[in-house]
Amino acid sequence: MSIGQAPPGSNVPTPPSPAPIAMDVVERVGNTMTLSMGPQHPSTHGVLQVVVEISGEIVEKLEMEIGYLHTGIEKTCENLFWTQSSTGIERMDYLNPLGNALCYMLGVEKLLGITEQIPERASQIRVLLCELSRIASHCVWLGTGGIDLGAISTFFYTFDIREDILDLIEVSGGARMHPNYLRIGGVNGDLPDGFLVKLDALIDKFPIRMRELRTLLQNNPILRDRMIDVGVIDAKEAVTWGLTGPSLRGSGIAYDIRKAYPYSGYESYDFDVPTRTEGDAYARFLVRLDEMDEAMRIIRQVRKRLVRPGPIMIDDPKIAQPAKETIALSMEALIHHFKIVSESFRVPPGDVYQAIESPRGELAYYIVSNGNNRPWRIRTRPASLYNLQALKVMAPKNLIADMVVMIGSLDPVFGEVDR
Amino acid sequence: MPSSQQPSIAGSALDPTAVRPDLDDADIVRVSPSDLYETLVSLRDAGCSMLLDIGGVDYLERAPRYDVVYHLLAMPLAAASVAQIGRPRRVRVLVGVSEGEAVPSIVALWPSADWPEREIFDLFGIAFTGHPDLRRIQMPAQWVGHPLRKDYPLRGPATEATPRPAFASKSNVPAGTPPSGKVAAALQKQLARMRASDGASS
Repeated sequence: MSIGQAPPGSNVPTPPSPAPIAMDVVERVGNTMTLSMGPQHPSTHGVLQVVVEISGEIVEKLEMEIGYLHTGIEKTCENLFWTQSSTGIERMDYLNPLGNALCYMLGVEKLLGITEQIPERASQIRVLLCELSRIASHCVWLGTGGIDLGAISTFFYTFDIREDILDLIEVSGGARMHPNYLRIGGVNGDLPDGFLVKLDALIDKFPIRMRELRTLLQNNPILRDRMIDVGVIDAKEAVTWGLTGPSLRGSGIAYDIRKAYPYSGYESYDFDVPTRTEGDAYARFLVRLDEMDEAMRIIRQVRKRLVRPGPIMIDDPKIAQPAKETIALSMEALIHHFKIVSESFRVPPGDVYQAIESPRGELAYYIVSNGNNRPWRIRTRPASLYNLQALKVMAPKNLIADMVVMIGSLDPVFGEVDR
Repeated sequence: MPSSQQPSIAGSALDPTAVRPDLDDADIVRVSPSDLYETLVSLRDAGCSMLLDIGGVDYLERAPRYDVVYHLLAMPLAAASVAQIGRPRRVRVLVGVSEGEAVPSIVALWPSADWPEREIFDLFGIAFTGHPDLRRIQMPAQWVGHPLRKDYPLRGPATEATPRPAFASKSNVPAGTPPSGKVAAALQKQLARMRASDGASS
């Protein structure tokens, strides 16, 4: 007896069978068939609807629908203080919140003209946390990308690393994912005791975990078969479609903003920009794996510099909140605290384009200030949006089964695409 | 205040781009919409091969009211090392657009302009002539208004004009269908027993 049928002997009337659901998901036109994937599809890494025109199993054409996660963060930021906007901005690319915040802070600091005054230690902490976030973000990509291909155990290996990194972020900023730890002019509070011990443990553990991951995945015949020659995009097309980050470097162009337009002292660190020339999903996969190692190389260098203590916030009472213990003792500190909290500070008029290298590519904010205490406009350049758009040129002539591999290889984050 | 019903229009008629100090983030070119296409073609031919971004800004009290902001980057079109790329040239092209004025679409120059142009159309209401598929991208298709305009209300009855999407009122079960299933049947039984005992006692 199935659920829904009346039990024998009872006088409950049998309900009418539900009306059949209209099958408007599949439509046939001529020799091709139009198929809708998503938006609630586990393999699309978020809410993405892809309408694919297939001939047999070959993708002929595709259209994408985005905007399911549109939350109007840019509009919200226009009505918040300069100091408050970072809360929303951290939530755009939710796998790299600290990178988003850093990009915004750098832009505002440029408008304020205080870029040169940011303490060295604050920049070091920012670089450390951003590189940790890069590894954590690539861990999510590798874990979920592995699940797409049936390699479920990868997920547990990568999320083990990510958990350690989120612990470190929690220790430093107080929250796991959106700590709002970076501030205009520096960072909020120095690293606590015990942070470096935890960091050292991760630095020791990471190479072992990476070796395991590479053994599991890199030469795995199933993975190679699924990824090699899938979603190929050559250098010229990658540039005209605006690809950045690992997706562009998988096509051979070593464009990395940390090298091209260095910020936060990246020019003083020794690291390489991994590239591949094949331009397929496997190339992007290898580039990201190498990038995780390079990020750890930077982290080890920052670790050596972090032993020197120093200020972590700019010495300007108009921008930096006074230390809590001074508020009870100094009238001026109390006034400055009150002013910053109640009406923030004013930023000189002007516009600036500030870009950073996020795990997905060139993340940039075009910030316009009209001299007020709120931003006039914050335009995001979302790397995921441009990377994802290139699927239109990447997917045709591939198998429908490889769609998830291609979407995964571009690593889109829909918080950033839709904002 | 951030939560006010009215949009906050702080500051006077403005053009921050005119008073900006040199921040050395990009070369700046300001053109009129009629010269835009030729300017972008010549910049592309001069090596600015990548369209980084297209954004919109609403200055409300300024004439022309909007700015459409293009960012271009000089990228090599073949495999290149870090040293070969160096510090690539970045160009910002600003176009002042009046209310109701259209901007030529550059999808033919850079296919990646498709989505950002649709986004500006959606959120600012600026039309792009020659765009192959100009429709809303972030907001629902039936939406009324352009949310990133400065005179768009932050809160209020903006949803009255926007009908609920069809799927929200769609159900597989016809209205008035009695609940089914084992739990429902047990409840019905219980209810019947209670009614019977009520009837017996009264």
